[in-house]
Amino acid sequence: MLFELIRLEFLKSFRSTAFAKSVMVAIFLGFLAIMLLGYLLIAGLFLTRIIEQLAEGQDPIQVLNSGLIFFFLVEFMYRYFLQKLPVIELESLLHLPISKRKIMHMLLGRSFFSPLSIIALILFTPFAFSEISTQYGVSGAIFWLGTILFISWTLHWFMLWFKQRFEDSLIGVVIVLIVLLLGLGSAYMGWFNLGELVAPFFNFAMTSFIPLAIMFVLCSAGYYMAFSYYLNNAYLEDLAEEEEVRFVNQSVGFFSRFGMAGELANLEWKLIIRHKKSRTFLMLSAFLLLYGTIFYDNPAYQSGPMQHMFIFVGIFITGIFMIQYGQLFLSWNSGYFDFFLSRKDGVRNLVRGKYLLLLSISLLCFLLSIPYVYFGWKFLLIHLATFLFNAGIMIHLIIYLALWKPKPMDLNKGAMFNYEGVGAAQFLMIIPMMVAPYVVYLPFAMFFNFYAGLAALGTVGVVGIIFFNKLSTININRVLKNRYEISSSFRQEL
Amino acid sequence: MIQVTNLKKQYKEAVVLDVDKLDIPKSECFGLVGNNGAGKTTLFRIMLDLVRATHGKVEIDSRDVSKSEDWKRTTGAYLDEHMLLSYLTADEYFQTLRKIYGLSEADLHLHLGKFTEFFNDEIVGKKKYIRDLSKGNLKKVGIAAALMGDPEVVFLDEPFENLDPSSQIRLKKLILQVKEASQVTFLISSHDLTHVTEICDRIVLLEKGKIINDLRDKSAMLAKLDAYFTG
Repeated sequence: MLFELIRLEFLKSFRSTAFAKSVMVAIFLGFLAIMLLGYLLIAGLFLTRIIEQLAEGQDPIQVLNSGLIFFFLVEFMYRYFLQKLPVIELESLLHLPISKRKIMHMLLGRSFFSPLSIIALILFTPFAFSEISTQYGVSGAIFWLGTILFISWTLHWFMLWFKQRFEDSLIGVVIVLIVLLLGLGSAYMGWFNLGELVAPFFNFAMTSFIPLAIMFVLCSAGYYMAFSYYLNNAYLEDLAEEEEVRFVNQSVGFFSRFGMAGELANLEWKLIIRHKKSRTFLMLSAFLLLYGTIFYDNPAYQSGPMQHMFIFVGIFITGIFMIQYGQLFLSWNSGYFDFFLSRKDGVRNLVRGKYLLLLSISLLCFLLSIPYVYFGWKFLLIHLATFLFNAGIMIHLIIYLALWKPKPMDLNKGAMFNYEGVGAAQFLMIIPMMVAPYVVYLPFAMFFNFYAGLAALGTVGVVGIIFFNKLSTININRVLKNRYEISSSFRQEL
Repeated sequence: MIQVTNLKKQYKEAVVLDVDKLDIPKSECFGLVGNNGAGKTTLFRIMLDLVRATHGKVEIDSRDVSKSEDWKRTTGAYLDEHMLLSYLTADEYFQTLRKIYGLSEADLHLHLGKFTEFFNDEIVGKKKYIRDLSKGNLKKVGIAAALMGDPEVVFLDEPFENLDPSSQIRLKKLILQVKEASQVTFLISSHDLTHVTEICDRIVLLEKGKIINDLRDKSAMLAKLDAYFTG
């Protein structure tokens, strides 16, 4: 029976529509995964050297042991965002005479077969057997590596429970924030040294099997916790929970000044906050507002050729939502595109509404980025210039490219590693988007100076804004011209 | 065969189902009717332990459905297309069920033989995933699957919906045959009063989660239901 369930799982993944319909994307993702794991392996092989470079004259083992806690904090974060919950297919099995326990063991077991489970193994195995085994013997290396692996796997089971229990709830967000603060507070602010506090545990792990045993017990407990939680909640209402209607009547008043396009912008805003995928995009743009802190404070970027990077950062900060959301321009409405087609001026106003929404969010991002003035007035100018360029030129460019063979997608699935609606166009469009601002900026920045480049960007942006109606009409006509192809591709099964 | 006692389902304040007592004896064909939102599907889902009851319990063969899982072997159900494995072809799905129910190839062949007319050559031997079937054909696969493995109880939610008229008539014949041959207890919900009164010995009328009528007199059923739904 278990074998039969496993066989079904295989069939399911090979026959999933996403896989079958875009083999290219599947191959690309597979390639990407192998490449990333390859990088990890290389990083693992050179870990000793890397540590020696970073902390000269110190014992690499000590340095690593006091840094490990940060690895796990990062692991917590990426697991939170990437790890998927294995519950969707339950509905088709629950009424059959297969015991729930078996189904749950199978689902949980399957979730474990993921590249995330071997990251720690790949990264730390070379170090364990080159560094630790020479000083503490092979048994020390095994105890140490085993401890790390079991911590990583405990996180896996913990996250399955945590996400099912708290995802989309305030407590979940608060806990994630606490983990972030723990890491940042310790690493950047120097409030306390988390690494030193936890290092003795890993030091102990090299000489004794006790930490390994502790983590093994914790890992089993984590599995059991996830298992019993899922078992007790194997009901349709808990798994495919109907979302409570939230944010009722939360219209953005200012949109209503723009007539029907404004109404549709309001609808689009509701679409964004009521679907998981778009909510994640919104959250990401909030996070990316902090992107500048990496660069703006860093002396390496302040002058010379590296300062051209700032344009890129500015485009991202003020336009990330535009770029991400605009990429899948019409796919967001794929489920009910016919609704707009069957209304007078529906498509025209849909596109205008989307313009309005994207511009508003971009403006909001610009306003929120004003505090970067703290690092210097220069950054306000950068953000102003890139915002103008985004609003005048980039938005039309993104939408133009996104209208090349749009594909349908399901908004209720998560956003991470979900490539529904993504086709070759979405991959290729990154290139012109990266290049376009520099085409305007670089000549002026090279011949004159940085500020001349910014002025050029801003001016071109303003010109774009002045000709907004002309430029947006190009895109609107493109949708109208291709409406039959677009709507028939949206009616396909996902 | 099935006992429902003090069953209540509540979402926050709203009571969607409130059934004091309901006994369904063996080999009865039990019909459930009611307008949208009356709680028909919820009642079936609770009976199948797919949704948790707020109070009370459901017993099939004197076994509480939420405590054990033994009853699943003798209970067949088709409520909606989520119960199918949509990424298999119909043939593969039947094969999978054959293994789950521990039947032989001959058993399966015999079982599907009963459906030859009903399937109308559109199900068996077709290279098409279940997810790509039409709504009517999905229903046919689901009904055939629910009747597999000699169940003692079969739940069907709106079995006539989406079927063409010939298939509806064939399905009625099929249900009556199975009932005659192996004393199966059927629970059928439907909006089609003519069909459901024709095959069922008893009809229960639900309104806002409560049983408001329990009709057993076959000759007067249709007239009474007509009177209720006309309002």
